Amino acid sequence: MKFMIKGRKVMGGAGEGEALVSKEPLSFLGGVDPDTGIVVDKQHDLYGKRITGKVLVFPRGKGSTAGPYTIFAMSKRGNAPVAMINLHSEAIIAIGAVMAGIPLVHCLEENPLERIKTGDYVRVNADEGTLEVEVCSGEKGERE
Amino acid sequence: MFLNDEEKKMLDGEYGRATQQAMSMLMALGEIYDVPRMVPISSAHLGGRSYTIGGAEAIEWLQDLLSGGAYCRVFTTYNPGSADLIQYEKMGIPEDLVENQKKMDECYRKMGVYPIGTCLAYMSGNVPLFGEHFSWGGSAGATFVNSVFGARGNREGSPSALAASLTGVTPEYGLHITENRYGKLLVRISGLKFEELSEGDWSALGYFIGRQAGDRTPVVVGLPERLDQETIRAFIAPMPTGGSVGMCHLVGITPEAATKEAAFGGLQPEEETLVGPKGIQRGYELLNTTWNDHIDLVALGCPHVTMAKLRKIAEYMEGKKVHPAVRLWVATSAQIKLIAERMGLVESLEKSGAVVATELCVAPGAPFHHVPGVKTVATDTARGAFFIPGACKVDVRFGDTQKCLEAALTGRWKD
Repeated sequence: MKFMIKGRKVMGGAGEGEALVSKEPLSFLGGVDPDTGIVVDKQHDLYGKRITGKVLVFPRGKGSTAGPYTIFAMSKRGNAPVAMINLHSEAIIAIGAVMAGIPLVHCLEENPLERIKTGDYVRVNADEGTLEVEVCSGEKGERE
Repeated sequence: MFLNDEEKKMLDGEYGRATQQAMSMLMALGEIYDVPRMVPISSAHLGGRSYTIGGAEAIEWLQDLLSGGAYCRVFTTYNPGSADLIQYEKMGIPEDLVENQKKMDECYRKMGVYPIGTCLAYMSGNVPLFGEHFSWGGSAGATFVNSVFGARGNREGSPSALAASLTGVTPEYGLHITENRYGKLLVRISGLKFEELSEGDWSALGYFIGRQAGDRTPVVVGLPERLDQETIRAFIAPMPTGGSVGMCHLVGITPEAATKEAAFGGLQPEEETLVGPKGIQRGYELLNTTWNDHIDLVALGCPHVTMAKLRKIAEYMEGKKVHPAVRLWVATSAQIKLIAERMGLVESLEKSGAVVATELCVAPGAPFHHVPGVKTVATDTARGAFFIPGACKVDVRFGDTQKCLEAALTGRWKD
């Protein structure tokens, strides 16, 4: 099963990969290790998960304004997500996405935290603000 | 978002990759804040210059921008950094930190940033005038320029201020727009003997008001009719650390606040609050992180000390000696230090054992955690006391300048 969701571009570009969905705001500085791409914030629902190569779906950023540098570093070291989806982005994620060249879409027509499940395959065309979601998460029952 | 032809060219890469990335960044901000257009700026000031803030990643990013042709389009200065680049050795600041700081500074210089590292940029020739738009990182400066000069700008992060400098524009939102500059919270000051307040007291009061305000612009009434610039700075510099304040109306002083009514744009305040001596006390209590009375380092200069304050410190220290186990750092701009040298104040302070440091941040970008043996730092402003524990993982004692200097002489904090 496939479906489309439309949103708004914050940073352009395209990327595709497996979705990793979090219900919690994420601080990149101190919350994610740029050398491994692993979430190290013990309080976070993605603790221990690797965000590298994923389409990272989360509500918004939080924490230090030096966060964009962590996103940039993660990207330079090949550990960044391929794309990011937010409910509504704030400055830390928006600036970090531009510095690192990571496609970023927000303000979707449907709640991406509900509609997209971890494990789904997502194709992001940020220039158009569109997502194509291929359901592979095995949670179809829950979804309907 | 509407872009004019020049802005479109920047976005399309006609002026190189760096300008293109800068414009993309401003577009991204425009998208998240739902901004219809850009506004030209006359001035930029970069926060986050300290290597201890941005680290190796910041250098890498700046070098990447340079190779993409980055160059400032407007008058741009930067904040102080993580080391005095000349006196670091006797200050106990490690050489590798200095080398990294120099690498970072070199990037900024090649971009055309005026290499005067101070948070008092408006005292070093970077002076946005009434009604002009600016993009400044470093919230103490931005708040002062909004509140005292009536120029218009938001509190920017370091990358967004650089993006504005490289393009000469910034998204028109927040404090760039007249209606958003009106006050929301009425603060009545009451029960204070103003002539008895120290700089530390004023800053504790400002911090407390910042906390009350949150993200609402405060309008302060009940102050003396005139306040000198030193007092205004002490009072409003900590407001952005107490809340997300970027502007404060001082009725009779702020150009847009000739009257209380004008400060509110003819509207009613959302809320009214009364602040007195308890506010000052609370400000001190909230910021002290330790009751330990052992002091390793006394840091004065968040924001950087002015000419007048440097003179007061030198007069107090005349003929006295800093305790051998304590460091006393007085941080200021290169220009102010030059004048102080001509007056013999630097020599006199050095004789006492103090260091008059330049290009050095003594709060959010400070190197305290890299200096051997520093566990507790004393400082005389609420702004400094707010940043030091989080940025440097050391304890802080916050009291007025006199108390800090006494601690420098004895190594002990006395309440």
